[in-house]
Amino acid sequence: MSESRKVLIDPLVDNNPITLQMLGICSALAVTTSLLPALLMCLALTSVAALAGAAISALRHRIPNNIRIIVHMTIIASLVILVDQLLKAFAFETSKQLSVFVGLIITNCIVLGRAEAFAMKNGVALSFIDGLGNGLGYSVILIAVASLRELFGAGTLLGYPILETVANGGWYEPNGLMLLPPSAFFIIGLLIWGIRTWRKQQVEKPEYQIHAVHRTEVF
Amino acid sequence: MPKEFDRDSISNTLIVAIGLSLVCSVIVSGAAIALKPIQQSNEELFRKQIILEVAGLMEPGADVRTLFESIEERVVDLESGNYAEDVDTAEMVAIPDELDLAGIGERARYIPVYHVMKNGELDQLILPVYGKGLWSTLYGYLSVAPDGNATRGLQFYAHGETPGLGDQMDKEDWRAQWDSKELYGDGDQPQVRVIKGLVPDGIDGGEHMIDGMSGATLTGNGITGLLQYWTGAHGFGPYLNNFRENS
Amino acid sequence: MKPLRAFLDKVEPLFTPGGRFEKLYALFEAVDTFFYSPPDLARGSPHIRDALDLKRVMILVVIAGIPVALMGMWNTGYQANMAMQSLGVAGIEGWRGTLLPMLGAGYDPQNIYDCLLHGAVYFIPIYVVTMVVGLAWEVLFAGVRNHEVNEGFFVTGWLFALIVPATIPLWQVAVGITFGVIIGKEVFGGTGKNFLNVALVARAFLYFAYPAQISGDAVWTPVDGFTGATALGVSALEGMQGIADMGLTWTQAFIGQMQGSIGETSAAACLIGGAFLVYTGIASWRIIVAVFAGLIIPTVLFGSAESSNPMLSMPWHWHVVVGGFAFGAVFMATDPVSAAQTNAGKWVFGLLIGFLTWLIRVINPAFPEGIMLAILFANVFAPVIDHFVVRANVKRRLKRNA
Repeated sequence: MSESRKVLIDPLVDNNPITLQMLGICSALAVTTSLLPALLMCLALTSVAALAGAAISALRHRIPNNIRIIVHMTIIASLVILVDQLLKAFAFETSKQLSVFVGLIITNCIVLGRAEAFAMKNGVALSFIDGLGNGLGYSVILIAVASLRELFGAGTLLGYPILETVANGGWYEPNGLMLLPPSAFFIIGLLIWGIRTWRKQQVEKPEYQIHAVHRTEVF
Repeated sequence: MPKEFDRDSISNTLIVAIGLSLVCSVIVSGAAIALKPIQQSNEELFRKQIILEVAGLMEPGADVRTLFESIEERVVDLESGNYAEDVDTAEMVAIPDELDLAGIGERARYIPVYHVMKNGELDQLILPVYGKGLWSTLYGYLSVAPDGNATRGLQFYAHGETPGLGDQMDKEDWRAQWDSKELYGDGDQPQVRVIKGLVPDGIDGGEHMIDGMSGATLTGNGITGLLQYWTGAHGFGPYLNNFRENS
Repeated sequence: MKPLRAFLDKVEPLFTPGGRFEKLYALFEAVDTFFYSPPDLARGSPHIRDALDLKRVMILVVIAGIPVALMGMWNTGYQANMAMQSLGVAGIEGWRGTLLPMLGAGYDPQNIYDCLLHGAVYFIPIYVVTMVVGLAWEVLFAGVRNHEVNEGFFVTGWLFALIVPATIPLWQVAVGITFGVIIGKEVFGGTGKNFLNVALVARAFLYFAYPAQISGDAVWTPVDGFTGATALGVSALEGMQGIADMGLTWTQAFIGQMQGSIGETSAAACLIGGAFLVYTGIASWRIIVAVFAGLIIPTVLFGSAESSNPMLSMPWHWHVVVGGFAFGAVFMATDPVSAAQTNAGKWVFGLLIGFLTWLIRVINPAFPEGIMLAILFANVFAPVIDHFVVRANVKRRLKRNA
């Protein structure tokens, strides 16, 4: 696998920013009540992460060490404001639902973390791809969580009815918990459980082992 | 070979800091200025669409601006109940605690209302209302008939009430009850209210009562409170009074 | 009993490793040890000889719940029959309406047998669904993880069935207990590793997922078109005056003749069960006393304060008989897995539950009852409480020996 391909594919499952590194959880809870805002949020974060990676990588030989975090923040903040203005202009109603969370991309650990850990050490094209990959890794989880929450919480996907709700004369009783932020915690937790059952190498080593003899071992 | 470039020197730090600030500020302010007109027209369209929905005029796929041509915006001076022109709509008035049934603390002195015209005659008055529910502030519009007494509809467009309980206020069948209730009856005091449980058939004063939402008594109380404030003497009471005297 | 032993011995090879139903060993083991003492011996030290193993503990808790279940069924039937009388309904439809006359039960609210049976036709289906669905998950996890089915579920299922309203749809019971068993217990490693009370996790899930079927005025009595609020629901809005207006006396509330979830209404039955649990040494009397103290102290302290809050003036002897307080204090807070373990910690744990219950009931505008959320919250803090108790102890002994 070529290096750029690895940089792009790795964050999707094997080094996913949410399910392995546990970053960006805050916005994953807040914007996943329904699918459309989650999609916009993914778009916003992915473009900021990719462009910030490229911009910081381009300047990496000039950025003074002692103000590098401030430089990162300035670049990321400018990009976020730009994205926020564009959303307000071209996706007004959904941007209202996203409210402050687009602005909070500035403090999103994924973007800042990739800038510091990757873009400062690698070339422009590769840093762009890295930002893209991490943004997509974030998006995969966000879209999964938002689809589940909208489907079971409201019976719809992107606003189209899939499970006809009781209130509309159907059979499905919407699960109100899905519309509350804690449900995203449960879903992300279950996703992590699923991924680690599938990809055993992600399982962390236990900090200590309780020794228990089960009856089935005795026989 | 030139001297090796030192990126940690003071001069480079200053150049990077100043240069970056300049470039970023140009990009950010440029975007803000260039996109402002589009954003403002979005804001306006959003507001107009809500008003059309409350008035029952909104059709899917129709152009909001064309539909809105039948609606006139007028600014009301809440104290006198008369129309005002060329006033500062940002001027705020504090609400005395004992009158503040909506729990909002202050309100604008001059507030825009909307006249829905039908065949050249006034058909509905649309008044903005807002106030505290259980968890959040509810924002909506109340539609009143030209007699200043009968309601035609109530719709909230922003709130954060409990999913499944308080948000029943968005349901069609609950909203349908707001067609032709009476705000005042014969007296001057606002009477309309959301009760607890269903309105019994033939009860005295049933024309002022709305079914409670099961499990959301406090959201219902919030709606009662904000309507009683906005239709009361400190809200649109004097304004609606003009219409009631005329009819 | 001989043939049973012989049968179990005969089928055992099917379930041991290599057998056809190897994966279902846990199920076999559960049935076997349900009837007979386990055959295996302790191999490591230390040895403690005691007739009381996990299975006997759990059975004692189930026995303690019997008075509560009987009172709950009677009250459910009583409320339903009263409602039918006031609405002028002569009989009920569906399988319940067919079954009740076959068992010789009518709809007379004064007849104890009629009421008990009318309640039982609602309680027993809930209990059966809880046990079938819950045990299916238990067996599945036990099979995958190679451990035995834990008897803890007998208690969880029993308590869960007692804390839901009689009208709850059975599919919600199934979804709720599924969530409780998986998220509340199995993800943390099974019985003994759950830091939350499983029955309450299941109920809390339903409370937030389907609030319309577990709160409000129409869910407590299984008669169509009848609405009756719980004592707490009424007093949250109208205070003690509201309770007086609905004609509820303290004695009725104490015995459990009022609206509420099936098993939570009778404080008297909870106290009988509590006395049995404390006598047998299963439940910690410290926790029970502390929970009561945690509620009573703020009630007495702030009871006379001037306020527009109608709940503030509810006297303590009312607080302890309405809602699920008595049931929660006796059966839920004392869960030996999720409660604090140290003696001092138990006092803090109990006081925290009582105080939070008071806070949610009186100050919080949204939820009339708070014992469920208070216990879950305190469960989360129990390990921290124990940690500080142990640290304090270590510090004290270091000082003494310094």
